[in-house]
Amino acid sequence: MARLGIAGGMIVALAVPYLIRSDFWLGFLITVLLFAAMGMAWNVLGGYAGQFSFGHAAFFGTGAYASAILHIGFGLNPWLGLAAAAVAGGLVGLVIGTLSFRYGLRGSYFALITLAFAEVLRILANTAEFTGGGVGLYVPLKVGVANLQFESKLGYYYVALGFTVLSLGVGWALERSRLGARLMAIRENEDAARALGVDTFMCKLQAIVISGALTGLGGAFYTQYYLYIDPGIAYGPGVSVEILLVPIIGGLGTVFGPLLGSAVLHGAGELARRLVGDAPGLSLIFYGALLVIMVRFLPEGLMGLVWRLSRRRERAANA
Amino acid sequence: MTKKSNRLSRRHVLAGAAAGAAVSSFGFPAVLRAQAASIKVGILHPVTGPLSYSGTQSRVGAQMAIEEINAAGGIKSMGGAKIEALLADAQSRPDVGAAEVEKLNEAGVAAIIGPYASGIALATTQAAARHGIPHIVDVAVVDQVVTRGLTNTFRFGPGLKKTVDTAIENLIKINDGAGKPARTVMIVHEESAFGSGMATTLNSELPKHGFEILETIKHANPTRDFSNIALRVQARKPDLLIPANYYNEYVLFARALQQQRIVPKAIYSILGGGASSYKFVKEFPQAASYVMDCNHWFDPRKAAALVLKEKTEKRDLFYTYEVFMNYSCVYLLADALERAGRADRAAIIAALASSTFDKHVMPYGPTRFVNGQNEGAQPVTTQVLDKDIKVIYPLAFASGNAVYPMPERRG
Repeated sequence: MARLGIAGGMIVALAVPYLIRSDFWLGFLITVLLFAAMGMAWNVLGGYAGQFSFGHAAFFGTGAYASAILHIGFGLNPWLGLAAAAVAGGLVGLVIGTLSFRYGLRGSYFALITLAFAEVLRILANTAEFTGGGVGLYVPLKVGVANLQFESKLGYYYVALGFTVLSLGVGWALERSRLGARLMAIRENEDAARALGVDTFMCKLQAIVISGALTGLGGAFYTQYYLYIDPGIAYGPGVSVEILLVPIIGGLGTVFGPLLGSAVLHGAGELARRLVGDAPGLSLIFYGALLVIMVRFLPEGLMGLVWRLSRRRERAANA
Repeated sequence: MTKKSNRLSRRHVLAGAAAGAAVSSFGFPAVLRAQAASIKVGILHPVTGPLSYSGTQSRVGAQMAIEEINAAGGIKSMGGAKIEALLADAQSRPDVGAAEVEKLNEAGVAAIIGPYASGIALATTQAAARHGIPHIVDVAVVDQVVTRGLTNTFRFGPGLKKTVDTAIENLIKINDGAGKPARTVMIVHEESAFGSGMATTLNSELPKHGFEILETIKHANPTRDFSNIALRVQARKPDLLIPANYYNEYVLFARALQQQRIVPKAIYSILGGGASSYKFVKEFPQAASYVMDCNHWFDPRKAAALVLKEKTEKRDLFYTYEVFMNYSCVYLLADALERAGRADRAAIIAALASSTFDKHVMPYGPTRFVNGQNEGAQPVTTQVLDKDIKVIYPLAFASGNAVYPMPERRG
C-alpha cells in the first residue's frame, strides 16, 4: 500500500509542472524540494543519530563555493560540479565530525561547534581571494542543459526532484540498514549503544559525512539556480536555521517528514505574504507566530499528527 | 416562492446592444467608453530584513512619482491609463526577490522597477529576462548587473566602476586645487560585496594616481564599537580617510573619529552610507561636518528636485538618494510608456533602449542606454557644509565650494 502511494506520488510529482503551468508556483515547488532534500540531509544526522547541528550552512556553503569555484576557475562542467560539491560537503563533514566526536562533544556542545564552524567558514570566505571575498562569486549566465542552466524552470524542477528523491531514498535506505539501527540506538542512549558494541564514533562520522555530502549537493544546486553566491548567503545562519526547521516541523527521524515540513514551512510563508498584503514585515510576524503554534502543539512534527490521525482512524474502524 | 432568473434573455441582449449603439451615436462616447485599463508596474524592493530602510525609502520614491503621474492624467498616449503599483518585498534576499518577480509576472506587470541591492538585482533581472519583462534597475551598482547581455535590463544610475572613476577624478581635482596636501590614505570598509569590492578597486586604482595606501581595515556587519579602529587611524595618521560602510557603521565610525578628535585632511567616502544623508547631518551635525562623499545625488539646480525634497520632508521622511532615484525611474518608465503607446513588454523594452529622457531630477542629462547602462548617469561629490549637503563637484552642478583640508571640528 505504501509503495503504491509512493509510486502515485512520483507520478504526480513528474506531472505537476504540466498541470500547474505557473512559473511562480513552479519556483515555489523547486524551493520546497530543495529544502526537503537538505532537511532530509540534516535528518540523517539530527533525526536518526540525534546529533543536532545548528551549522549545516558549513556544508551548504562549501558545496555552493566548490561548484562555483571549480566552474569559474577551472572550467569544470556544473553537472560534475554537483558531484564535486557532494565530495566537498562530505569532507567538511569528515573534518567537523572527526574533531567533534573524537573529543566526545554531544548535545548543545555539538550544536554550538557546528555553528562555530559555519561562522569560521563564513569569515574565511569573506577574506579569501579565491572565494571572491565579500563580493562573492558570479556564475556566468550561459543558458544550456550542458551548463546546468535551463531556459525555463522545468529543468530546475526535475533536477530538484531528482535531488529530493535521492535524499529521501538515502533516508529510506538508512531506516532499513544496520547503520540506521545503530544511529537510532545512539540517539536513544549512546552509552548503552556503545556498551552493546556499537562503534559510536564511526557511526556518527558516517552520518555526518552522508549529511554533509547531501547538503553540499543542495548548495551546488542553489548556485546554479541563482548564479550568485556570497559568504552571507552561503554560510549565514539563515540557511542553517531553515534547513533544521524543515525536519523539526515535519517530523524528526522520518523519511517523509522533511518533505512535509518543507511544504508546510514555505507554504505558510507564502500564505502569510498573501494574507497580510503589502504591510512590511507583518507577513514575517504571522509566519513566526504560525511556527510557534506548530512547534507548541505538534512536538512530534507533522508526521506525528499524521500517525495520530491514522491510529485514531484504525481504532474507530476496529471498534 | 418564485425564483427570479438571473439569466439574460436574447431580447434583453438585443435591447441593450441597440441602446448602446444609439447612445454612442448621439455623442457620449467619452463618458460611456470604458476607462483605459491601468498599467501594472512591479515596485520591488527589500522592505523587510537588513536593507529595509533603503527599501522602504525606495518604495516611497516610486509611489510619489506614480501618484503624481496618475493625478496629472496618467499615460496620455494610452487614453490616460493610470499606473497601478504592485508592491513586492524581496526581504533583503536574492531568492525571495526572484520569487517575487515570478509573482509579478503572473499578475501581468508591464515592467519592474527596483530592487536597490546588487545581489538581489542579479537574481531579479535574470528572472525578469525569462519572461521578457523590462526591468529598470534603480541603484544596484555592481557592474555585473548590466554585463550579462540581458536585453530587458536598464540601469538608471551609474555603475561601480563609473562611480569609483568619477570619485577618484574629483578627489584628484580637489587635492590638486589645494596644492596636493594629501598623499597617504587609509580605507575602512565593511565586509560584504559593497565594502570589499570598493576596497579592492581603491587599492588598485589610488596608487596609480600617486596615493600611498597605509592600511585597509575590514570590519564585520554589524560593528558597534569603532574605538579600536579609530585608535588605529590615529596611530597611522593618514591624510585621507576613506570609509566604505552602511549607514549605522558609517555614523558610529564618524562619531568615534570625532570623539577622539581625529582630523585627517579629508574624510572622503564613495557611495558612503552616511555622508550623503540628511538624517546623519541632522542627528550628528558635528560628526558629519566637512565629510565628503561621491554618491548618487539630485541636481540642486532643478526645481522639481527641490519640490520633491519638500514633499518628502512633509511626509516626515528624509530625502535620501533611494527616494529621488526611484522617483526618476518611474518617470523614465512613464516616458517609455508614452512613446510605446501600449503596455506591451517588447514595445516598452524598445522604448527604453531608445530613451532620451531628461525630465528626471538627477544631474545626468538625457538618458542613453548602452548595453542596459545609462551612459548619461554620473555620481557627484558632496560635502556637508553649514549643516547642509552641498554638491561641490562637478562644478557645473555645484551648490557650494569645497572646504579642504577640513578644519578641526568641535563637539
